[in-house]
Amino acid sequence: MSFAPNLSSFLGSLKESPTNVELSLQTLVDLFKRRQIRGSRQCAIATAHLLKQVIRRFKARDTVSLIKRVQDVGQKLTDAQPKELAISNIIRRILGVIRDEADGDKEGDAFQNYSSSEPGTPRKKGSMSPPQGQQNGVPVIADLEALHRPPLLTSHTSYMASTNGPIVTSMFSLLSQPLSDTSTPGSQSPAQQLYSSFNPTLRPQELSAEVIDGIDEIIDELDNMDDQIASYAIDHIHSNEIILTHGTSLTVQRFLLRAASKRRFTVIHAEGYPNQHHETHATITGKHKASSDGDPDQSDVQRFAKPLIEAGITVVLIPDAAVFALMSRVNKVILGTHAVLANGGLIASAGVKSIALAAREHRTPVVVVTGVYKLCPTFVFDFDSFIEYGEPGCVLGCAEDSDLIGKVDVENPLHDYVEGELVDLFITNLGGHAPFSLSSVITEQYRSEDTDLAVGN
Amino acid sequence: TTRQQGRQTQSQTRPLPHRLAHSTPQSQQETQVVENKNVALFEHLYKQPRRTTIAGVSKDVYRDVLAEGKSRLKHYAEPADNIQMIESYVTPPGTSLPRNLTLLLSPQIEYLGSCRSLSMSTRNAIRWLKLLINDVDIETAEEKAKSDLCEAIDNFIREKIIIADQLIASMASSKIKDGDTILTYAKSKVVTKTLLQAHAQGTKFKVIVIDSRPLFEGKELVQELAAAGLDVQYSLTHAISHLMQSASKVFLGAHAMLSNGRLYSRIGTAVVAMNASKLAKPVIVCCESIKFTDQLALDSIVTNEIVPPNELLLPEREGQERKQALASWRELPNLQLLDLMYDVTPADYIDMVITEYGSLPPSSVISIYRLSLST
Repeated sequence: MSFAPNLSSFLGSLKESPTNVELSLQTLVDLFKRRQIRGSRQCAIATAHLLKQVIRRFKARDTVSLIKRVQDVGQKLTDAQPKELAISNIIRRILGVIRDEADGDKEGDAFQNYSSSEPGTPRKKGSMSPPQGQQNGVPVIADLEALHRPPLLTSHTSYMASTNGPIVTSMFSLLSQPLSDTSTPGSQSPAQQLYSSFNPTLRPQELSAEVIDGIDEIIDELDNMDDQIASYAIDHIHSNEIILTHGTSLTVQRFLLRAASKRRFTVIHAEGYPNQHHETHATITGKHKASSDGDPDQSDVQRFAKPLIEAGITVVLIPDAAVFALMSRVNKVILGTHAVLANGGLIASAGVKSIALAAREHRTPVVVVTGVYKLCPTFVFDFDSFIEYGEPGCVLGCAEDSDLIGKVDVENPLHDYVEGELVDLFITNLGGHAPFSLSSVITEQYRSEDTDLAVGN
Repeated sequence: TTRQQGRQTQSQTRPLPHRLAHSTPQSQQETQVVENKNVALFEHLYKQPRRTTIAGVSKDVYRDVLAEGKSRLKHYAEPADNIQMIESYVTPPGTSLPRNLTLLLSPQIEYLGSCRSLSMSTRNAIRWLKLLINDVDIETAEEKAKSDLCEAIDNFIREKIIIADQLIASMASSKIKDGDTILTYAKSKVVTKTLLQAHAQGTKFKVIVIDSRPLFEGKELVQELAAAGLDVQYSLTHAISHLMQSASKVFLGAHAMLSNGRLYSRIGTAVVAMNASKLAKPVIVCCESIKFTDQLALDSIVTNEIVPPNELLLPEREGQERKQALASWRELPNLQLLDLMYDVTPADYIDMVITEYGSLPPSSVISIYRLSLST
């Protein structure tokens, strides 16, 4: 075990001292700032657990102040690590849960049959949403969560100007709904919506408990996400294919591993030098302890992944420079990503842009596998602001290149911005999405009043 | 003499950090254990294992050629000619010089080829030499024939390599303007010369050197440029799409120019050229016409050279207790390592090829090739 604090030590400390919320918050802010918790998955899990604590300990009796509290905590977390978009996404999801519960309480009185009569059946059947439900026996948890959501907002575009107030079910929302509305099911008329007014002081005890349940569902979703994504693997990989991938994404590894249970194919793995190669080597060989200066947090999680070679899949390790040379024989490119922006663009590991470009040049399909928590509703134009830089020491080692140190500028970007047009298919835990339908998935994930979480407020 | 100069320029040593360590006969034996570690796609390229000793070499191979071959084992050099043998050559009685010399030449070439596959320029030079020897009149006295041949070879080296390099460097350096940021990949001799010459002429510009594993040839270039006082930025292939944004021109070296206008060069060149052309940055290839060939290729798979995969292993660091994850890769089933030497860059990405005959579009490669054959 490493002595440096990481995700598991933080989760442990949450359990040990559940009462001191401020201390936990400060600990997490520090961990984010020092990049001791990093990577979208770890940040998302840490954020969800902390907010659960915050909400459990929150004494106020109305939703408005609860939302305010979550927003404040969220602001502190996103300030600590503004480039980790998953943090704000989780905060948005949790705010959405709170708002839904507040709305749902009122709605529940008027339309009790919605949530009680048929549990497990999605209430809304948005025409743009992918087929959901039972997939290979794995229940899609996000459905349960979507259950409590008013259908009214499904056609908001994520990046449109939104009202920031807590009142959703107002005239404004109705007016901002486009006329050609096909996605709203007819089950609830605008008139009924109009009558359901917002009651901020309704049953706070119950509300808090329901919100905690909602957060637990989100945490569950984070835990089961890879399995759900992997359940689509068989649909997309066929026998004797040559798949190219890059870096260390656990989601990609599990996706390929699931496909390997039914099919024989070859994986060409670009190593992601100089920031990821230790982890990549560990991932393909299955020897996680071998990397000495790899990220210890990452190894904690990855230790549970069986390497592809043990599943009988031929894995060919190549240096990153060889991606273009090999692309002419590659059938599919399967990539993980760090975040997906509202326009479908990716913030992915450095080097992925070249792979995506080479794939486009060879007309090779590019598949991006990602949990929905990486989809961001924010629409930005300055993509470079999300790119984080790593240590130049990875590029020029102190020991072996001492004669060059100081003579040259060294640049080590950790991320690439990849245009959404270079991606052919997104696979999330909700299913496969064409890039152009991604915005509707994003819209269903978050309430539009939370879009400006980090940018505006 | 010119010849020595030529040989120097050509075979300037580029030591490879861990080649010697890994190409010992011991590691050759490991290959034969358990599983076939050759990547199926490239089975056609794993011919015989690269020669690592001089054992079993035909006795006809001359001492100089042997030495050349040995240095090739160690270095990535591209000697165009290995012709000192002609000086020490004595025609055996009873045969004519042209016939015997041509016969003698083949084992030399075969030997060199077994050390590392012959580069395009070497092949062109050999073809030229064979023609030259064929043209020697049987009636010519032996001494005269030998000195004629040597002189022709000297001229060939001077024209095709030394002067060609100078011409290209001065043409290419005139393309660099004040305020430019020149991006280049790995290390090419002509590009190095070009950049240094432009700097010497007083042009103010920056250089971005992109490098790749496992050769890291760019570090040498950075060393030379920094020593000359140039403003240099260095990074690896992963940063290419990022750094390309600040580049204004891209200069690339070549291993060969194929007759369909494609560039055959160090692996990774295609990635750099692709990124440049996506951002509409001019891509300029500096290439002597001796590297032009009538061969063509559509992809990087049919023709290529496989580097012994052990070179992909990370160098063991001192004081590191645990072994690298890859260290025992040969024992792991289904795991293969692939390290290619070259890739083929599509002609669309290339805006200009600068040769000693001038600047031209990649589509003119074949006509330059014909032109250089006739001169």
